[in-house]
Amino acid sequence: MKEKLQAFFKSFGLPRLIIAGFLLLLLILAPFVGADLPTQISNIINRFSWNGILVLAMVPMVHSGCGLNFGLPLGIISGLLGATLSIELGFTGRLSFFAAILIATPFALILGAGYGFLLNKIKGGEMMIATYVGFSSVSFMCMMWLLLPYHSPNMVWGYAGKGLRTTISLEGYYNQALAGILPIKIGNILIPTGTLLFFALLAFGIWAFLHTKTGTAMTAVGSNPAFARAAGINVDGIRLLSVVMSTWLAAVGILVYEQGFGFIQLYMAPFYMALPAVSAILIGGASVNKASIVNVIVGTILFQGIVTMTPTVMNNAIHMDMSEIIRIIASMGMILFALTRKTEATR
Amino acid sequence: MNKKIDFREVLQRSLVPIMFIVICAIGIPLSGLSVGYLANEIMTRMGRNIFLILSLLIPIMAGMGLNFGMTLGAMAGEIALILVCDWQIVGIPAMVLAAIISVPISIALGVFCGSILNQAKGREMITSYIMSFFINGIYQLVVLYMMGSIIPIRHGSIKLPRGYGIRNTVSLLSMRQKLDNLIPLTVGGVKIPVATFLVILVMCLFIVWFRRTKLGQDMRAVGQDMGVARDAGINVERTRIISIVISTVLAGFGMIIYLQNMGNIATYSSHSQIGMFCIAALLVGGASVDKASIGNVFLGVILFHTMFIVAPKAGATITGDSMIGEYFRVFVSYAVITIALVMYETSKRRKKKAAGRELQDLQGHGGDDLRTADLGTL
Amino acid sequence: MNKGRKWIFRIGALAIVLAVAAVMFVIGRGHTVYFDNRELAYNGKTVAAPYKIVVSVDGEQVAKLYDKERGMTDTMGQKFSMVVRITQEKGGEEKTSAVSMNLPYNMDGIILNIPAMMAGLPEEAYLTEFIQAPTEEPEEEPAEGEDDMMGEEELLTDV
Repeated sequence: MKEKLQAFFKSFGLPRLIIAGFLLLLLILAPFVGADLPTQISNIINRFSWNGILVLAMVPMVHSGCGLNFGLPLGIISGLLGATLSIELGFTGRLSFFAAILIATPFALILGAGYGFLLNKIKGGEMMIATYVGFSSVSFMCMMWLLLPYHSPNMVWGYAGKGLRTTISLEGYYNQALAGILPIKIGNILIPTGTLLFFALLAFGIWAFLHTKTGTAMTAVGSNPAFARAAGINVDGIRLLSVVMSTWLAAVGILVYEQGFGFIQLYMAPFYMALPAVSAILIGGASVNKASIVNVIVGTILFQGIVTMTPTVMNNAIHMDMSEIIRIIASMGMILFALTRKTEATR
Repeated sequence: MNKKIDFREVLQRSLVPIMFIVICAIGIPLSGLSVGYLANEIMTRMGRNIFLILSLLIPIMAGMGLNFGMTLGAMAGEIALILVCDWQIVGIPAMVLAAIISVPISIALGVFCGSILNQAKGREMITSYIMSFFINGIYQLVVLYMMGSIIPIRHGSIKLPRGYGIRNTVSLLSMRQKLDNLIPLTVGGVKIPVATFLVILVMCLFIVWFRRTKLGQDMRAVGQDMGVARDAGINVERTRIISIVISTVLAGFGMIIYLQNMGNIATYSSHSQIGMFCIAALLVGGASVDKASIGNVFLGVILFHTMFIVAPKAGATITGDSMIGEYFRVFVSYAVITIALVMYETSKRRKKKAAGRELQDLQGHGGDDLRTADLGTL
Repeated sequence: MNKGRKWIFRIGALAIVLAVAAVMFVIGRGHTVYFDNRELAYNGKTVAAPYKIVVSVDGEQVAKLYDKERGMTDTMGQKFSMVVRITQEKGGEEKTSAVSMNLPYNMDGIILNIPAMMAGLPEEAYLTEFIQAPTEEPEEEPAEGEDDMMGEEELLTDV
């Protein structure tokens, strides 16, 4: 038992332990410095519901050995295309949310397939290239948001009549489309049941998929490609599938994020969105080639916990808002740590 | 067959520069900028950027790829400049002093970065890239909270009104373009920063000399094959750390030259994009992840910055919106890096496959395992 | 090269670098020198302000001061030399004199009262430190993004 515990701590890793300890400290401190704990918890649950699927989008690619999906912005772009087109085509209310998912899907499939094809060409250098594919696509879309012929008056700049705004309000569209379903209110804590259920649905879907024949093949490709090939698995095909899945999840993830946040953010906004998601899943216990649904849930809660708790607690305790810096150091430190670990198995 | 591969490589290597020459050839007339203005701008930008870009060469030589961690040196340079500025040292002596102060900071950061990169062999680039973010967090901690509270800062023109932390911009008026104008020279209406170019020349000579030293040879050996280098008795880890340290120190000097030309420090953003732009410029000059020369640096700066200057104007002429051009040049910077990275990885794979095939021919069998083995080097 | 020699070289190099840094501290120290043309009372003695004072540094005119006016220049290093041309009365003769002095290291801004200086009063009479009046200004905080790691404008910076 003791050995097991030791092994657990070892596999858990020091940075993760520090971050979890830090969050625990914040939670303990919160009532003493006058921060309202229920509100904080409510915030964490809320932000978890916004970000969960974006973090979930890491899982398929990690499983197939494509590494951490630094190319998340590509999927986010598909989601944004779905969102803006859904509004442009005149969908309103909750319907616009599902329309957005539907419209985003073909984009995600096509972009994801192209992205996956590219990643198959450059096995070994996935993460760096993924990062730059994300950056290139975001800056390319910056031009497109200005040039594409959008006309909906709620989205384009008022004076020019063309070019999308940097932030678009979702009031009247799919603001709180999921969170508004069966919300539960306990005292100060508001639980967005709909969003959580939607996350649970997708997470269960991924979990179930990973236990199908294709899913186990994906894990095999990730942990030992040579063996997988010998077993007659189409390695490239499986990798392509995982990239497409990740891209699609990112597209859905950003739509879920927007329905909670209430705004669509365009232009440079998706630029660094991959980094919080990457660090979240790593904080949750994933490594460069291993990730589970549990990692996603734990990681998102820990990461969002720190993001929401530090400003309030720090501000109240020492009148210094160091949250931004703590967030950067913690999340980047976590990614660094994961990158320096020798990956298990002969890869 | 060998000839064919060579031809393909030459074409690949010159693909990006040719693309840029085309972009510039289209962009210059569209932008409507005068040749004199362009020449002046490019001359200024050459003086400003070349030193920074030169700092990237040595890690490439050591096989560590594009050093996104050069940002670390830039931050060291900025910290030194802030301190010097607060001590009210001015002019060229201020730059010399800042350079001296930046060295220990750069060395410390370089050693840290180098040893982390040693633990992440095979993915140095992404690690150094994340490293730049991580150290940026530490930098902010130092500059925003420790300066003025732990590190004494006297002048209110630098400090935030709350009593600690550095303002968003720190004016370097007292050393603005002091190096550029040290030896004034104007040829045909184009101002040439002679002294800056002299410093750059010294730097180029240093790099040429360094390549021939024992350490430089070791670095190249490590860059070609770590295993072979280790068998030859080279301390691989140490050599790699030294290459990163040199790069970081040079980047610190480069940042000081860069900022003396700009005339002010944007405390929280000057360094953040510098790595990306320098790397893009180097790649535009025809360098690749594993091979870069001084010529690439010069060509790259000229082509990249021509594009950078003309893009907004040309974009405005074509689409009537100047933002298009701004986004376009950002897009091109990223696209160039993406293309260069993809080309590097594919050619690496091709070489590996070729090596595998040769081995297979030699042994008659067993090559299959080798070919599959390269799948896993993530 | 043997180990001992190597260390001597290293320490020597370090010493040279430190010496250079120390020299830079001295020769690179910048001051802002302000020139006053106003009457000054010192130990019961009053020095009147002349009609006009012209100050030049390195052959370049930096200030032209009538009564109760102030001029300034930035200097580098501890030694400060200037040429002062004084016109006592309107239309009167111009008197030129070269002045050279050592500036106190620890003052950023230095006010020189030229009439008092010319009258040969001691340093404590004509030299005072210039202290910047604290200006009220709105609290300036570095911009911090809500959800992304960095602001948008940073991505579009010029290099």
